[in-house]
Amino acid sequence: MGLAPLAQSARPLRRRPCRRGHRGRAPLPGVTPDPYLGGVFAAVTSVALVGIDPCPVRVEVHVGGGKEAFQLVGLPDTAVREAKERVRAALLSSGYRFPYRRLTVNLAPAEIPKAGSAYDLPIALAVLAASGMVPAAVTGVVALGELALDGAVRPARGGLGAGIVAAAAGFPCLLPPGSAEEAAVVSRAEVRVVRTLAEAVAAALGETAPSPPSPPPETASGASVDLAWVRGQALARRALEVAAAGGHHLLMMGPPGAGKTMLARCLPGMLPALTSAESLEVACAWAAAGRPRPIPSEPPFRSPHHTATPAAIVGGGSGVPVPGELTLAHRGVLFLDELGEFPPYLLDALRQPIEEGWVHIARKGIAVRFPCDVQVAAAANPCPCGYAGDRLVACTCPPAGVARYRRRFSGPLLDRFDLQVAVPRLDPADLCGPEGEPSAAVRSRVAVARRLQAERGALNRSLSRRDLDALQWRPEATRLLRAAADRLALTARGWDRVRRVARTLADLAGVGAVAEEQVAEALSLRAAG
Amino acid sequence: MSDEARLRLAFCGLHPDRADRLKRAFGSPAGAVGALASGRVAAPEAVRAAAALPFAACRERLARLGVTPLFRGGAGYPAHLADLPGAPDVLFSKGALPAQPGVAIVGTRRCTRYGTGLARVYGQACAAVGWPVISGLARGADAEAHRGVVDAGGAGVAVLGCGPDIVYPAEHRPLLESLLAGGGGMVTEYPPGARPEPWRFPPRNRIIAGLAGAVVVVEAGETGGALITAAAALEQGRHVFAVPGDVGRATSRGCNLLIRDGATPVLDPADLVASLSLLLGPGRAPAPSGPAPPVEGPGRALLAALPPGGAALEEAATAAGLGVAEAMAALARLEVAGLVRRDGGLVLPGR
Repeated sequence: MGLAPLAQSARPLRRRPCRRGHRGRAPLPGVTPDPYLGGVFAAVTSVALVGIDPCPVRVEVHVGGGKEAFQLVGLPDTAVREAKERVRAALLSSGYRFPYRRLTVNLAPAEIPKAGSAYDLPIALAVLAASGMVPAAVTGVVALGELALDGAVRPARGGLGAGIVAAAAGFPCLLPPGSAEEAAVVSRAEVRVVRTLAEAVAAALGETAPSPPSPPPETASGASVDLAWVRGQALARRALEVAAAGGHHLLMMGPPGAGKTMLARCLPGMLPALTSAESLEVACAWAAAGRPRPIPSEPPFRSPHHTATPAAIVGGGSGVPVPGELTLAHRGVLFLDELGEFPPYLLDALRQPIEEGWVHIARKGIAVRFPCDVQVAAAANPCPCGYAGDRLVACTCPPAGVARYRRRFSGPLLDRFDLQVAVPRLDPADLCGPEGEPSAAVRSRVAVARRLQAERGALNRSLSRRDLDALQWRPEATRLLRAAADRLALTARGWDRVRRVARTLADLAGVGAVAEEQVAEALSLRAAG
Repeated sequence: MSDEARLRLAFCGLHPDRADRLKRAFGSPAGAVGALASGRVAAPEAVRAAAALPFAACRERLARLGVTPLFRGGAGYPAHLADLPGAPDVLFSKGALPAQPGVAIVGTRRCTRYGTGLARVYGQACAAVGWPVISGLARGADAEAHRGVVDAGGAGVAVLGCGPDIVYPAEHRPLLESLLAGGGGMVTEYPPGARPEPWRFPPRNRIIAGLAGAVVVVEAGETGGALITAAAALEQGRHVFAVPGDVGRATSRGCNLLIRDGATPVLDPADLVASLSLLLGPGRAPAPSGPAPPVEGPGRALLAALPPGGAALEEAATAAGLGVAEAMAALARLEVAGLVRRDGGLVLPGR
């Protein structure tokens, strides 16, 4: 490195009159001049995420006259802005010229914030097309990828979204290896794997390019446990089945080591398998969180730790908001182990998204929402030491401490738990007992109950007071409810919770009008208070 | 022995053994109070100030608190306690103090479900036949015994290890109030303002045993207040009963040791009442508690299978031979009928 290269690249202070690019002057050979703009224009489709939904982005490039420049507009972040340098180097390395003219790159629609290096490849393709170095047909693709300075294409985030956008637009999809596998799961997408910019141009012009290997079938995730492995715990099994059938949030209380976590892990396997639309949503949610995964068939199971930050659980973070654990658990189960250890502000932050099924994040200039249609399972010790009410071990907590601990569970979030069940420590005799019923058997009963709910139009979890009033109740059932409200001091919310669970029990039993039997069982599954 | 000097000495809030030594050394309570007030005996400033308190001020303070002083040998002081060597000269009491010996039900503060359940049913059974039930208002077994008395509407006596104006533990204030409202009493040898310091509790236990004709220990480890009470009872010639527990369990070891050393093992409440009748004289027949609502089917089986200390629903269902769904429905009906109650994961008999 010396002074010589600098001196060479230094511009003369007084510019020569420009002979190229002005209106009326001869354009670059082979480029059709735009009669209105006095320049040429090309656009390639790429993808940005709005929440977790992929949204097509038009990468427009205008090559016009004027002072030489390379402008990037349309809410790009720093990584996108740096695309200029990578694109210029990659074009030159790949054997193309770089049009030293007034280049304007617009990422439309302009109000969606764009992040990351994924727009390098579409910008390069659009620059090539606009400057006439390659036929305009290269723009009929959906492209995504980061360019290396030598013209290689590197994987970038958003492969799955590109596949979805390409399938919707009917374009082929050009993706680098590493991103292409994500898009391959979209059944109608025509995915071409490109390793370099030159390969991308060739593939866009219809030359053959290898398609990505078909995704491996999803192996059974380690998260899920089969109910057959759970010994004893008949009460908790029943509660899990009811929770699965009605989508109810479930709270399990029991001493350490009773098997609460294992029981919760059984829940995804008891839920109906995801439909293809649902599994694509789950895959999108995971991809949006930067954790691409094969298309799942089993509902996801997430178990965030109680020390996680609100941003990690609810979503957010610096820059473009990223989905949190709530959204990773979308269409599945969010398990809150040691509920008493979660700080109150975190539980408060969870309440509204769980109720609504959406996380809303508003930032300066943007508001995104992430889906979080989750079923919550929670586990807690009955007291700080965990042994209150145990058959053999004396609880060592002062009663005031137990009362203080229990008060943590009386917040507004707890009002959403329709089901509360005690999970006692197992008798050693039960551990040697026979295997229980497998998840698949329960799942088929759950599926029947869910079908009945689908016919009524809503999961029992989301039945409002008005919906519940409109349901059919046998007179004895109403009588028992009234008596219970009197004698057990049910609150209005508690009364609704009992009715929702009773409806699910009736669905499991396959009866139309809720009978006294079901109300009685629901009363025993109610949360205290 | 003047009431005046005895009351002023009691107001010093000394450990009973120290008070006895001072009385012996100075010949009388009056001498002891004088020595304390004048500083001839080393004592904390608070004790010296209390010793200097004139009789009228003591009286006035007690009247303000609604506390009655009872003097050994005087009216209202239980005769069976007064006869014992080492009985306190003055008792501070609230409510009614029964004249005849009662049953003391004591146990560890760190009770398992087994102990709390039994303390409550024994308390209920003894109160139902009209015997006063005496205990220490501590957490665990003591409080459950008192609750059993309140359930049965009987008379109970709480013997405190602090001044009559203090409730320790504080969360038992409502329990003490319902005990007093139900015709029971509260008694302590410590003056108003005496904090519940650890050294105050062992001497308190001799009053529990002294007020009772028999002591029942429901659950106790190898050390602890319940065993001190049992030892005091033996010294005073009271009968000691102990509830046998699991041999391998530390929380029942004290009871099992008592049985080994000759205490009478207690089985169910009826057995306890039968044994106690020989000591305390027959109680009145338990008041018929209204016609019990008829329970049939699974509810009856569930109720029959429920141990006094309660059980997890699943245990009860297995014991009653019911499926969980059936048992849950039966439980809810029993709960609405007021025959069982739930506490956390436990199902307990009674409301």
